[in-house]
Amino acid sequence: MALLSDLLGHAVLSGSVLALGALGEVIAERAGVLDLGVEGLMSLGAVVAVMTVTATPHPWLGLLAAGLVGGLGAGVLALSSVVLRANQVLCGVAITFLGLGLSSVIGRSVAGIPISAVFEPVSIPVLSSIPVIGPAFFSQNVLVYLIYLVLPALVHFWMFRTRSGLDLRAVGENPAAADAVGVPVMRLRALAVILGGVLAGLAGADLTLAVVPVWSDGMIAGRGWIAVALVIFAGYRPVVAVLSGLLFGLVTAVGFMGQARGWPIAPAILNTLPYLGTVACIIVPMLAFAKLRSAMAAPAALGTPYYRSGR
Amino acid sequence: MSAVSHRTRLTVVPSYRIAIGRGLSILAALSIVAITLAAMGRSPIELAGLVVRSTVGSRFGIEDLALFMTPLMLTGAAVWVGIRVNLWNIGAEGQLYAGATAATAIGLFTHWPAFVALPAMIVAGMLAGAAWIFVPAAARAWLSVSEIVTSLLLNFVASLLVYYLATGPWADRVTGALASTERLHMAFPEFWGAVHLGFILALATVIGLGVGLAKSRFGYETAVCGSNPQAAHYAGIGVAPRILAVLLLSGALAGLAGVFEVAGTVHRLQGGLANNYGYLGIVVALLARGSCLALIPAALLMALILDTGIVLQTTQISSSAVLAITGLLVLAIAAGDELAAYVRVNRT
Repeated sequence: MALLSDLLGHAVLSGSVLALGALGEVIAERAGVLDLGVEGLMSLGAVVAVMTVTATPHPWLGLLAAGLVGGLGAGVLALSSVVLRANQVLCGVAITFLGLGLSSVIGRSVAGIPISAVFEPVSIPVLSSIPVIGPAFFSQNVLVYLIYLVLPALVHFWMFRTRSGLDLRAVGENPAAADAVGVPVMRLRALAVILGGVLAGLAGADLTLAVVPVWSDGMIAGRGWIAVALVIFAGYRPVVAVLSGLLFGLVTAVGFMGQARGWPIAPAILNTLPYLGTVACIIVPMLAFAKLRSAMAAPAALGTPYYRSGR
Repeated sequence: MSAVSHRTRLTVVPSYRIAIGRGLSILAALSIVAITLAAMGRSPIELAGLVVRSTVGSRFGIEDLALFMTPLMLTGAAVWVGIRVNLWNIGAEGQLYAGATAATAIGLFTHWPAFVALPAMIVAGMLAGAAWIFVPAAARAWLSVSEIVTSLLLNFVASLLVYYLATGPWADRVTGALASTERLHMAFPEFWGAVHLGFILALATVIGLGVGLAKSRFGYETAVCGSNPQAAHYAGIGVAPRILAVLLLSGALAGLAGVFEVAGTVHRLQGGLANNYGYLGIVVALLARGSCLALIPAALLMALILDTGIVLQTTQISSSAVLAITGLLVLAIAAGDELAAYVRVNRT
């Protein structure tokens, strides 16, 4: 019982990073921008959070700084891939290089030093005393509640119940039509990319301030790319993206458990689980259910820059 | 008589405009780097002098450049054949590991003479690279699953597996070297300092690929599939098998890079062997644009940047700085190429 609870708790915690990154990516991709900079922005967010918290021991300040840096980096991406309309794949990969390289350079002074100011678990009365799922779901840090409950609800409401959310989706599906009825295509796309970047930066901060309280080079280890893949798996739906973050947290947690309990499998092999699991999860459903292909389809204009004169 | 000037976007951009745009982009990226270095209290001019002296300024430097160029030309070609038909293989890093692992298996566990073993390594490495991309390629071809993310995620798997092999079952038990296999029994012969046959073979591969794709039916049909899949379908060209074929070719090229890297340059399989060559291949392919032969100078430029990273490392600047510089350069060039397409048109 304690094992199951531990496993779930770890899944919720490590899944929150993926969920947050994927949520940001959903926003950008729904607006038609394939944002491949998540990995780099997460890395920058993670290191900036650690540096801020080392200077001033307030985790909230670290979170804020990480969000700002994520937004700033995404601003560069928006400028190049939305305003200048350069190739989105290249710009995203470039931002990832830039983010990974820069965070390694600026993080040298704090690398390997554990931080003390982290988000502590908050137990919710009554609910946290439910056996098994109580400790796993209801005595987590405050970010977990924000990421799994508040944010997805907000994003879902915005995207599917408000006028500006409809505009956002229109820009991703058919920018020419949106433009024709007066929706500012470029502004909305840039905004979506920046918002996605803020969430990616926050996801990085979530990793260092709540999951692994230390910065080390390469610690993002593909979490940003998994987040991008989860968006495909979730069929570009915010709530599903967050839930699939939880699912992949579970896959990570199984590998982690195996290591901690000394299963007779090499740790390196166990560590391949999240990546293989992600690849399997975006391919197998397509293979098994042909009907899913249209329901889970990407926004029609995803990855294509919009030219007003283009016909 | 007031002249109205507005900007219009060219569909075909003349190469002189691209050249000017790139010159300005590279200048802009380098200026940002120089300003950052100056802000960190380093003299950019002194560092630049150091970089020039330790790369093109010495025999060792030039040998190093050739060694860096070898895998870069091939991973660049791997990404390039994909981009040519609108496919993005960003998993060259993983395919490089797969190729290197296959070559290592032959190098460690056989005692064949070199004239048998080396061709066998090449074949096995290319097959392994192609096999590593097979699942993402087939999923892209028949299920329309984006190859970008699937090919990339397998990089992490390959890197972990190579680390596992090099520290576990294949670890060096003879000299007890940390985290690597023992030295391979055979190597590609060196012909000029440390520069080995792999360099010539990589050059020949790039040239052969350029000519082959330009002249062959396969090259033509894949180009049609890339630019207009529907037209290709109506013309009786099966799109899915050709997508698969292009991606397998891409994987095989990256695998070949792994063969030369392990059996020519490093001689041992170890974690980190791929040294970001797979990712940098994206940059090389971007620089080469539409021309396959341009992969060669593009790989040279990238090799220079890599060497710069080593120089920076010796002056106490993190080697990861080179990754940031590369990112900046890609961003600047991608934007510059796009801006070069805009011309001012005067109408009266």
